Amino acid sequence: MALPYIMLTILWLALIAYAVLGGADFGAGVWDLLYVGNKDISRRRHEFINHALGPVWEANHVWLIFLIVGLFTAFPTVFSTLSIVLFLPFTLALIGIVLRGAAFVFRVYGTRSDKYGALIWGGVFSFASAITPFILGASAAAVASGRIQVSSVNIQADMTGATWLTPFAIVIGLMAVALCAVLSSVYLSVEAEQAGDTELEQLFRLRAIIAGAITAVLGALGLILSSSEATLLWRGMLAHALPVVIVTMIVGLATAAALFTRHYRIARVLVIVETAGLLGSWGISQLPYLIPPSMTVEGAANSPGVLQVLLVGTIIGMALLLPSLYYLFSVFKLPYPAPGKEPAAANNDSLRYNKD
Amino acid sequence: MSDLLAARAQMGTSLAFHIIFASLGVGLPLLMCIAEGLALRRKDPVWMALTRRWARASAILFAIGAVSGTILSFELGLLWPTWIKFAGAVVGPAFAFEGFAFFLEAIFLGLYLYGWDRLSPRAHWLCSFPIWISGLASAWFIVSTNSWMNSPAGFVIKNGQVTNIDPLQAMFNPSTPYETTHMILACYVATGFAVAAVYGWSMLRGKRDSYHRKALMLGLALGAIAIPLQIVSGDANARFLATSQPAKLAAMEGLFHTTSGAPLEIGGLADPNTGKVYFAIEIPKGLSFLATFNPNATIRGLDSFPANDRPNPLPVHTSFDGMVASGFFALLVGWLFWLIYFLRKRKVPENRLLLIGIVLAGPLSFLAIELGWMVTELGRQPWVIYGYLRTADAVTTAPWLNISFLVFSFIYVILAIALIFFLLRLARTPLPKMEWAEVATGKSLAQDQGIAV
Ligand code: HDD
Ligand code: HEM
Ligand code: HEM
Repeated sequence: MALPYIMLTILWLALIAYAVLGGADFGAGVWDLLYVGNKDISRRRHEFINHALGPVWEANHVWLIFLIVGLFTAFPTVFSTLSIVLFLPFTLALIGIVLRGAAFVFRVYGTRSDKYGALIWGGVFSFASAITPFILGASAAAVASGRIQVSSVNIQADMTGATWLTPFAIVIGLMAVALCAVLSSVYLSVEAEQAGDTELEQLFRLRAIIAGAITAVLGALGLILSSSEATLLWRGMLAHALPVVIVTMIVGLATAAALFTRHYRIARVLVIVETAGLLGSWGISQLPYLIPPSMTVEGAANSPGVLQVLLVGTIIGMALLLPSLYYLFSVFKLPYPAPGKEPAAANNDSLRYNKD
Repeated sequence: MSDLLAARAQMGTSLAFHIIFASLGVGLPLLMCIAEGLALRRKDPVWMALTRRWARASAILFAIGAVSGTILSFELGLLWPTWIKFAGAVVGPAFAFEGFAFFLEAIFLGLYLYGWDRLSPRAHWLCSFPIWISGLASAWFIVSTNSWMNSPAGFVIKNGQVTNIDPLQAMFNPSTPYETTHMILACYVATGFAVAAVYGWSMLRGKRDSYHRKALMLGLALGAIAIPLQIVSGDANARFLATSQPAKLAAMEGLFHTTSGAPLEIGGLADPNTGKVYFAIEIPKGLSFLATFNPNATIRGLDSFPANDRPNPLPVHTSFDGMVASGFFALLVGWLFWLIYFLRKRKVPENRLLLIGIVLAGPLSFLAIELGWMVTELGRQPWVIYGYLRTADAVTTAPWLNISFLVFSFIYVILAIALIFFLLRLARTPLPKMEWAEVATGKSLAQDQGIAV
């Protein structure tokens, strides 16, 4: 495989990682926004979300950073062009990311004693969590739709939404929100089951299934729209991504089945594969373009010397990163004990909250 | 405000905000590592209580650091798309490697902050090492990219195209050793004196127990070791500028005309309109001597550059002198403290005046960081990549930059207010009983964290 394609694959994997890890963060906030009701359940759900996100929040977030710096190093013109054309949606998404990041910490620290602070920052957190994936999804759709013309010398910012507020973009944006909601409720069902909280487990399960159905409907709609609105993507999909699309659909059904039969761990794996399939099929469909119809992977790539240095650095970095990441998740998320882990804590791995 | 000015203002505000958290992100983990090591070694509840307090503050500080850093990463493209096309192509890998440093930092931070009752004490302590090491690495990588903007290297321009790119040469450009050393030391200086200032303040208000004394001493130990090195390295920076960026040096020193035996202007206002420095203390031949060790050497003044290639000496000269003054003040306070300490047979001096000095040295060290960056960034104007790309040509064509600047400034104000509120509340939470069992178990942590862990 040529160097630009290797870098692209790495970046796309980072994108998938951000979607399955960071996306669940967003989804947790979306549920916060939608669900009001029984105070006790709501408080327990909050504690679950705080518990589930706390230790991994910052690490999840770094995938986004890696994506950005990787993109402008491997494909400088792509990042530069998108930053101009999508100036407005990127700025809005950035504001969303910033507010929800800040709100999350502030809320976690505010929950105990300070009701108003927790309420306000909680509201900011969930609102920003819902808006941001929508905008990111719509921006992705703007790229995929082939409406971003970069042939002209003078690249202009699209401040009116001609590229990123089309029906296609809106559908994809909503789908991104729904997908985040699915991800988080599947993960939280696993946690709730571990903690032995059947009430919450039921709640998350139901929500995962509903949100999954919505995602599927929106996905189908997006697919239909793409045949007229994103013709390059559509043709590319038919030409070389059809198997991936079909597998993704089957995995989607399997996820629903696993949820129905309460196999949450399996559902968690499947929903990750599902997300990877969705993003993967998008990427494969628009090959050889990065920004269809004018910027190709090869054409936009940085010089081979730089890509080589980047690749070697990435391999070294990953060699340090992956074991560390595994250790992090094994201490906080996996059921079996990790080296250096207190035995007492290992037996009592799940959330302990006082029911009083 | 013109769009260019708005973009510059937004970039400057964002960086000035971020650098506070970045500096603490480099410095605090080292302090926690030392404090926890001492706690475990001596089974000392006071050191342990301090470590836990700092860890809790770090959780908030690092989150704001991550948030503000994210803003910056986007802004590099949103505000300066032409710059990022150039910089990404040449020094991009440094940013990417920095990304890995962030990753490791974030991972071990998660383990450290949330793993008190999940890891053995030893494993927990070991987790603090990757945090401060990767903080160091990320500072090195990012400042090396800034050095590259000051002394671009590792590429050739042929027919308007950037070719023959060598990213390693770009990262190890001529400015890198000077700037990275100076900045990393600055993080330790500022963190050390800031910690000392916090506890010095409490001591001024009468809290003179072993908890406050220990924290004060650790902060001042770090600060007092780093500050002389800081001044020596700053001196090397300035000397290096004489060959690498003479326009910046001239602006820093308020030197308008090329002069042999140039005087050193201390303080004062360097007025670019009249070409004079007002109200300064002048040391004859001082500048020539400092820059070259030869009192009669010729130093290039601003007039040796075309008018549209000159930085504005007014803010640059003032910032430079402010940084140097803050540095010497911190040196004085830090060393005086240890001098008295050792003269008085290892008794912590609690003289009111000295404590006031310590309280001042903390904010002044951070001020020095901000001013130092003003020297670097404003002194490089009108270039963003020195000699290759002008700031005016790097700015985005997108409109509404004024609004963007206002919105982001507003966000920073909100973040700052909320942050101060939470930190003050943390400072007011009562201390645990200073007994090992009480401090070192997860029990007090659950209360300490304010959440169900
Ligand atoms: C604790 C903070 C602190 C202190 C006490 C000092 N500095 Fe500094 N200085 C910085 C913090 C800093 C900085 C914020 O970290 C800068 C900005 C860019 C950089 O690499 O370091 C800087 C930049 C900077 C530059 C510009 C480098 C360039 O643009 O290439 C010079 C010439 C000096 N410093 C010189 C000094 C001298 C002679 C000092 C003697 C007292 C001094 N600094 C104290
Ligand atoms: C964190 C410490 C830093 C501070 C406080 C700082 C400060 C500033 C300020 C005040 C400006 C506006 C200058 C002007 O336009 O007149 C600026 C511009 C800029 N800085 Fe920095 N800077 C810092 C570090 C960096 C680093 C490490 C980089 C490189 C990666 C960088 C890249 C830029 C760019 C691209 C601009 C815009 C172009 C320009 O105005 O020259 N800065 N910075
Ligand atoms: C243009 C300039 C800069 C950019 C784009 C930038 C970007 C970032 C980003 C994205 C993060 C968040 C990482 C995370 O999610 O954990 C971060 C944090 C950090 N940055 Fe910067 N940064 C800049 C300037 C600087 C400078 C000048 C320093 C030098 C000391 C620095 C040191 C750090 C450190 C140590 C952290 C981790 C500490 C923390 O999270 O609070 N950065 N930066």
